[in-house]
Amino acid sequence: MALTQEISPVMKATQRRVLTYRQALAAAMREALEVHPHVIIMGQGVDDHKGIFGTTLGLPEEFGSERVFDVPLAEEATTGIGVGAALNGLYPIQTHIRADFALLAMNQIVNLAAKYRYMFGGRFSVPMLIRMVVGRSWGQGAQHSQSLQSLFAHIPGLTVIMPSHPNSILDSYRHAIAQYPNPVISIEHRLMYDLQFDLDLHPAQPAAAPFGSRLVRRGDAVTIVATSIMVLEALRAADHLQEQAGIECEVIDLHCISHPDRQLVLASLAKTGRLVVADTSWKAFGVSAEVCRWVCESAPNLLRVPAITLGMAPAPCPTAKSLEDCFYPNLGTLADAVARLVTGRDDHGIALPTEVSMADVYKKFKGPF
Amino acid sequence: MRHLNHAERLFYQSLRIRLVEERLIELYPEDKIQSPVHLSIGQEAVASGLCANLRSTDLLFATYRSHAFYLAKGGDLKQMMAELYGKQAGGCGGKAGSMHLAAPEVGFMGSSAVVASSIPHAVGAALAAKRLRKDQVIVAVFGDGATEEGVFHESLNFAAKHQLPVLLVCENNGLAVHSRQGARQAYDILELAKVYGLPVTRIEEGADDQEVFQKTKSIVARVRAASEPQFVEIKTVRYKEHVGPGEDWEAGYRSRDDLVRWQQLDPLVRRADWVDRFKDQIMQEIDAAVAFAEAAPWPEESELLTDVI
Repeated sequence: MALTQEISPVMKATQRRVLTYRQALAAAMREALEVHPHVIIMGQGVDDHKGIFGTTLGLPEEFGSERVFDVPLAEEATTGIGVGAALNGLYPIQTHIRADFALLAMNQIVNLAAKYRYMFGGRFSVPMLIRMVVGRSWGQGAQHSQSLQSLFAHIPGLTVIMPSHPNSILDSYRHAIAQYPNPVISIEHRLMYDLQFDLDLHPAQPAAAPFGSRLVRRGDAVTIVATSIMVLEALRAADHLQEQAGIECEVIDLHCISHPDRQLVLASLAKTGRLVVADTSWKAFGVSAEVCRWVCESAPNLLRVPAITLGMAPAPCPTAKSLEDCFYPNLGTLADAVARLVTGRDDHGIALPTEVSMADVYKKFKGPF
Repeated sequence: MRHLNHAERLFYQSLRIRLVEERLIELYPEDKIQSPVHLSIGQEAVASGLCANLRSTDLLFATYRSHAFYLAKGGDLKQMMAELYGKQAGGCGGKAGSMHLAAPEVGFMGSSAVVASSIPHAVGAALAAKRLRKDQVIVAVFGDGATEEGVFHESLNFAAKHQLPVLLVCENNGLAVHSRQGARQAYDILELAKVYGLPVTRIEEGADDQEVFQKTKSIVARVRAASEPQFVEIKTVRYKEHVGPGEDWEAGYRSRDDLVRWQQLDPLVRRADWVDRFKDQIMQEIDAAVAFAEAAPWPEESELLTDVI
C-alpha cells in the first residue's frame, strides 16, 4: 500500500516480516489468554463488534465470557476491581479506548494500585496491565486526545510504557503478564494501529530488558529522544535530513517512560553533543522536562548546544483541523528543530518536508473513532 | 482461651481490642506512636462478632479505622504495635502505620485511608474467588460516609450484576468526621443497596458482639454457600474523636446522651465481672507487645526505596 512506501524506513513493505500495530496487540492479547489461565480482559466494549479497535475480536468466543467481558461505565470501581482481582490471583488486563477516561480512575491508579506494594511493606503485589489508547485527528478534540504519560510516570509504583512498534508490544506485554509483579500502564497510540511495521528493522529487546529504551537509528550529529508515534516521526525526519543535508540522526525510542534507560541516552549524547526530545504530550512537567532534568543533573557538559524539545502546544487540543495541525509537532517542525540544532542557525537553508498534516499521512480511517 | 466457651471468647476478643486501644491512648502523649490513630473504641463488637464467622482464608478489606478488624481477623498484636511505632518489626516494616495495617497471612488484606476505596478491591477479590473457584467469603468493611462516594455505587452494581461472593458491611457510626449522617444523605442506606438487588440486613445491636455474631452467621453462610453478595448495615457508636486519643463529646456536633445510651448496651461496660476475669491475661499480652515494639529497631535507610516496584 502507498502509505507504507511513504513512511520509511520502518514501514517498507518488502519480503521481510511485516505486522501492524493492531495485529501485534491482538496477538499479545490472545497469547496472554492462551498461555496464562489466570488472565482476564475487562473493559468497556472488549466483547463488542469493534473489539477495542480489533485487538480483542474473537477472544470472548474463543476463551469465554468469564475471561473476556464488558464492564459498566464505572472507571474507578473497575480499576479497583482489577486491583482486588490481582490481589486474589487473577491477572487483569484493562482497557480504555481513550486515555482521557482513565482520569476517572486516578484514585485507584494513584492512591491504591501504585502504592499497594510499598504502603504495606511488600506484603502484596498488584500485577495488572492497563491499556490506554491516545486518540488524534479527525476532531478528537480536547477530551479524546490527551497523552497522559507524565501524569502516571510521576507516581512511584507505576511502570509506564509507550510502545512505538509491534516488537515493543510483543516483548513488553509478554514480560508484564508472565513475570512482572506490578501495575503496568501501556499508552498506545491510535494513529499507529493500521500501520505496517517491518519486524526486522526494530530491535527486539533481550528478555532481561523488555521495558528498556531502544536505539532505533544510529547517527553522530544529534540524539533524538522520542516517545510513541514521535519515534516514527523522528525516523522520517532523520531520513529526510540524511538525504537533504547528510545529517545523521541517532534516534532513541524511550519506550519506558517511568524507567527509561538513561545510560543509553547519555552514551548517545557523549557522541552527538546535541539533544532533541520529541514527545507526544505537553512539554512543561512532562517527558521533555524530565529528560532535560536528568541530563542537566548527571552530565550537563555533554550538551554542546542547548537542547530543543517538541511537544503539543500549551493548550487543550482544538478540534478544527487547521488548528490541530498547528497544535502537534510534525515532520516539518521536527526536521527544522534538528537542522537548527546541528547547523547552529535558524536560517539553515535545508529544505524541509512540505507535508503539513501528520494525520493525513497516518490516517486511514475516518470516524467515529 | 481454650477453656472458654464461645460467648466468653467473643467477649475476650472485644475486651482485648478495647484494652489495646486504651493502651494506645496512654502511650500517645509519649509521642512514640507518630501515626494518626482512628480508634475503634465503642465499635469493637462489630469486628469481633463478624470476624468470628470468618475463616483465615476468607479475605477482609478495611479502612483507616481498622485496629479492631485487624485483631479480630487474627492479626498479630506484636506486629501491630511495632507497626504503630514505625519499627522494622511491624507487619509492614513500618511503612504502613496505623492507617494501613495488613496481615495477608490471616486474610486481612490491607486498609486504605481514602474513604470507600477498598470496596472495589473486595468485589474484585470476590471475582477472583469465583473465577478461580476458591472457597472464600470476601468482606468489605466501610463506614456510612463511604456510601456517599461514587465508587460505592459502582462496586455494588458490579457485585450484584456478577453475583459475587462478597459481604458488604456498612459499619454505621452515623458520623463522617464531625458531620452527621442526616446532614449528608438524602437516602436510606439499605434502600439504596436494595436498588441493586442486594439482599440486605440491618443490625441495630452493634454494641453486642453476641448479637452481631449470631445475626451475621447465617449471612456469611449464605455468601459462602450460594456464592452471592449480601449487604449488612451494623449500627454502632464511636466513643472517641474522629482521629486521635481524645474525646470530643462537648464539641457540639453530637450529644453525650448517645454515649450514655450505648454504654448501657455495651457488654464491656456491663460485664465488669468478665472484665476483671480476663483483664490481667490481656494486659500481659499487651505489655509484651509494647515491650516488643519498644525494643524493635527502626527501619534501615536502605529500606526507603525497597518495594516501590
